Amino acid sequence: MRRIEQGVTRPEPIAVEIDGASVMVHPGETVAVALLASASRRFRDDRSGAARGMFCNMGTCSECTVWAALGTSPWRRLRGCLMPVEPGLRISTREPEAMP
Amino acid sequence: MTVFDIAIVGGGPAGLAAAERTLAAGLSTCVIDEQQRPGGQILRQPPSAFSVPGWLTGAPYRKGRALLANVSDDAKLHWLGGQSVLGITPDPAGETGFTLALSGTMGGVSEVRAKRVLVAGGCYDMPVALPGWTLPGVMSAGAVQTLVKAQQVLPGQRIVLFGTHPLMIVLAKQIIEAGGQVEAVCFAQSLKRMAKAALAHLPRAIATPAPLIAAAGGMAALRRAGVRIRYAAPVLRCEGEGQGGVEQVVIAGPNGEEALACDLAAMCYGFLPQADLVRQAGAGVRWSRPAGGWEAVHDGAMRSTVPGLYVAGETTGVAGSDAAMAEGAIAGLAIAQDAGALNEREAATAMRGPRSARKAMQGFIGLLRAVADPCPWLPAASAETLLCRCEDIAAGAVDRAIADALSVGPSFGASAIKLRCRAGMGLCQGRSCEHALVRRIAAARGCGEGEVEGFRPRFPARPLAIADLLEDAG
Amino acid sequence: MMTGETSNFDILIVGGGLVGCASAWHLARLGLKVLVAERGHLNAGASGQNAGSLHFQIERRFLEQGEKAAADGARIVTLNRLAIEEWRGIEDMLSRPLDVAMHGGLMVAETEEQMALLAFKVARENELGLSTQVLDRAQLRERAPSLSPHLAGAAWLAEEGHANPRILVDAFAEGAGEQGAQIRTGIALTALSMARDGTYRAVLSGPDGEMRVRTPRVLLASGHWVPRLAGMLGLNVPLYAAPLMMSVTDRTEPVLPYLIQHVGARLSMKQTEDGNLLIGGGWPSRLARRADGTPDLDRPATVEMKNLRANLAVAARVMPGLAQRSLLRTWTGTTCISADQLPIVGEIPAAPGLFVAAGGSLFTLGPVLARLLARTIVEGSPPEELSMFLPRRFAHLDAFAVLP
Repeated sequence: MRRIEQGVTRPEPIAVEIDGASVMVHPGETVAVALLASASRRFRDDRSGAARGMFCNMGTCSECTVWAALGTSPWRRLRGCLMPVEPGLRISTREPEAMP
Repeated sequence: MTVFDIAIVGGGPAGLAAAERTLAAGLSTCVIDEQQRPGGQILRQPPSAFSVPGWLTGAPYRKGRALLANVSDDAKLHWLGGQSVLGITPDPAGETGFTLALSGTMGGVSEVRAKRVLVAGGCYDMPVALPGWTLPGVMSAGAVQTLVKAQQVLPGQRIVLFGTHPLMIVLAKQIIEAGGQVEAVCFAQSLKRMAKAALAHLPRAIATPAPLIAAAGGMAALRRAGVRIRYAAPVLRCEGEGQGGVEQVVIAGPNGEEALACDLAAMCYGFLPQADLVRQAGAGVRWSRPAGGWEAVHDGAMRSTVPGLYVAGETTGVAGSDAAMAEGAIAGLAIAQDAGALNEREAATAMRGPRSARKAMQGFIGLLRAVADPCPWLPAASAETLLCRCEDIAAGAVDRAIADALSVGPSFGASAIKLRCRAGMGLCQGRSCEHALVRRIAAARGCGEGEVEGFRPRFPARPLAIADLLEDAG
Repeated sequence: MMTGETSNFDILIVGGGLVGCASAWHLARLGLKVLVAERGHLNAGASGQNAGSLHFQIERRFLEQGEKAAADGARIVTLNRLAIEEWRGIEDMLSRPLDVAMHGGLMVAETEEQMALLAFKVARENELGLSTQVLDRAQLRERAPSLSPHLAGAAWLAEEGHANPRILVDAFAEGAGEQGAQIRTGIALTALSMARDGTYRAVLSGPDGEMRVRTPRVLLASGHWVPRLAGMLGLNVPLYAAPLMMSVTDRTEPVLPYLIQHVGARLSMKQTEDGNLLIGGGWPSRLARRADGTPDLDRPATVEMKNLRANLAVAARVMPGLAQRSLLRTWTGTTCISADQLPIVGEIPAAPGLFVAAGGSLFTLGPVLARLLARTIVEGSPPEELSMFLPRRFAHLDAFAVLP
């Protein structure tokens, strides 16, 4: 993935956590873009263990569903293409072991 | 709880055009959309924190942008962005109206009440199962387009577009303007076939020449950029080693199979109406032509078969944003009339404009449907190809379930197959595979797709984090 | 098929659900000429919409209505014991897998008060030959570590579990068909009368026309529609519609091998073979209503959000990990309860030859009740096991019925 630079002004980047690693993203970007920016196109594994990516980017196919937690809230499975990033957001592409 | 005069589901061209009319008629209006900002998919806006001065300046977007600006600036509009509608329930007898259950994209569940509801849910890219389509890096054309125009990112460096829909031309141009590289645009059908289909509809289509001119302009731009447009080049499969995702697509070229290297493959076979909320509410639908899916049926003023529930735009059949705006305006006027804010004559007079605009577009819509018709060109899924992406159910398993059901009797629908093999039971609630199941069942039963009963859409229309329901349980 | 002529059958079964199809299976094997008439699709009603629990402990609904109801409820245990045997053998009987899993069930308690109620219940069950057992907090923790550590304990029954309600009726229907039963879908009973000779005349209507049937016996096995059909003969069957909700989550790793119920709250919860969690327990949905405000049983009931929230809240209190799951679907289904909460199964005294079988818990009890009912019909008198479920306990309601 590459950000379009020409003709676009973005706010200063913030850090979010994806599978334990820190990824820099711009406020306004979605979790799906954060995942694409993390240099892997994998959003989850299917039942056979094969990697899966996002598909529709409009909330319909649920392929971009990941686990997300903010602060002390419990982990939720949400569609990454609809969810804007926030400071302190944690994302997991695998089922988290326990409450955050 | 506030009771709105009208709740509009979908903030795209149809929903905004309806809101424009209901607000003008003085009705309290809320518009609910899964996106944070209004515009729908066609006018999907960059995040408000971004500044993109050159956003969608092209002529085809001009009318929609004017509508967007007009409605967005209306202080009376109650905008509920970042909210998914989970279900629309008619209120108990004795009260008129509906309760809509909503969930936020970052969590939280709430309810909205409205005397009337308009579903203008738009459409989504037809997901077409072919070998390798579940590899990361294989996406819908709509996904790539919305990533480019709203999120302002290019999800790949070397992109192949494939399918049957001329939207590929528009998308290729947008990718190039954004600095991306399009390896090839592969139409499954031949140029001759497209031309023949187009010519048959041209006399009527010429009534609205703007989209034809835009298409020609797009072709010219691609030629200038050196993009290769291939015709009669159906994609057979997508391939990639290991966990890295797609590395090439294989097409049936004039001299046999041909591999095109890419890191992103976007499919574009047409669009299916979003009608699951309409179906969940019990309103009538029919099989949509040509791409399939279910479109809501309505009267001349966009009233669905459920009293108080209206439909407009692609939810009623995919016809483009201009048609959606016209239908939205008609729906908005009908709502104002039914709410008593306009009398019958005022409404009829006001509907004249959008009705004649809608009628004038019919020629171009017919042309586009004929040119883009995916049905003869749908790639073959192998027995191992997953039809149901959520539950990982392969075409072979679906076909076995269909054969088993057929041995019991001929009158089974998609739900019977779902119960036998789990296709459609996953997170997407069947939106990805239902059309494929219906096509296969129709073929096996030897009947039309419209005779096959689809899945029964259930609450919640979008998967819901249980934590959200617990937090609010009080 | 749809001619004006009258067809003769040994029995007309109205309703293509579990009770109707299982009864057809038994009766066809016993040599009767059987017609099953189903208005919609097979298994379209409560038989296919329930969550598939195989529960044999005395239900919470009997325990919360005072000692009299608890004592009556206890008597159902004798039937539950037969049902256990029925479910153990059902896959062999029908020669196919039905996803029957009998790995045990826990009825949990959260308070010491509820533990006392469990102890009372288990004592009654043990007297009647059901080998339930009280587990204390530590024993429960050991048996079911995915459940909340705050639970006070549970009653354990090794035979409880679940089966797949979506395939069972098909299995009975196919088997009945192979034995010669006629199974017709898309035809509704539109007229029913008793002739002077005591036989019945029925008119069945479908899109292709009408079908007339003459038969000495009719079995009404149509769930909450039974009162309406019995009403065609001027008879009163005290069954009342109970619209319920069931929910299913996304798939997860195997965490719950048991059927979970709650002694003090409405809950049933279990995990399917594929990993989805099924949650219900008797939370009402909202019946559709006609313009005049009366219930409309012909349209599906709608989800009641506050009850859905309450159902999930109980479930998450019992199994905290549920909070991390997603809700995929909530669906509604309408079962029925009788005036005394026990099923109504057998011949109507005022109308010889007319049988009914309905009244709740009929997924768990359906197969065994169908067997007992078939014996009743063929032998001409009910077996002892059915005595407490016979319609004769409501015979006073038909004191003013007028039949030939």
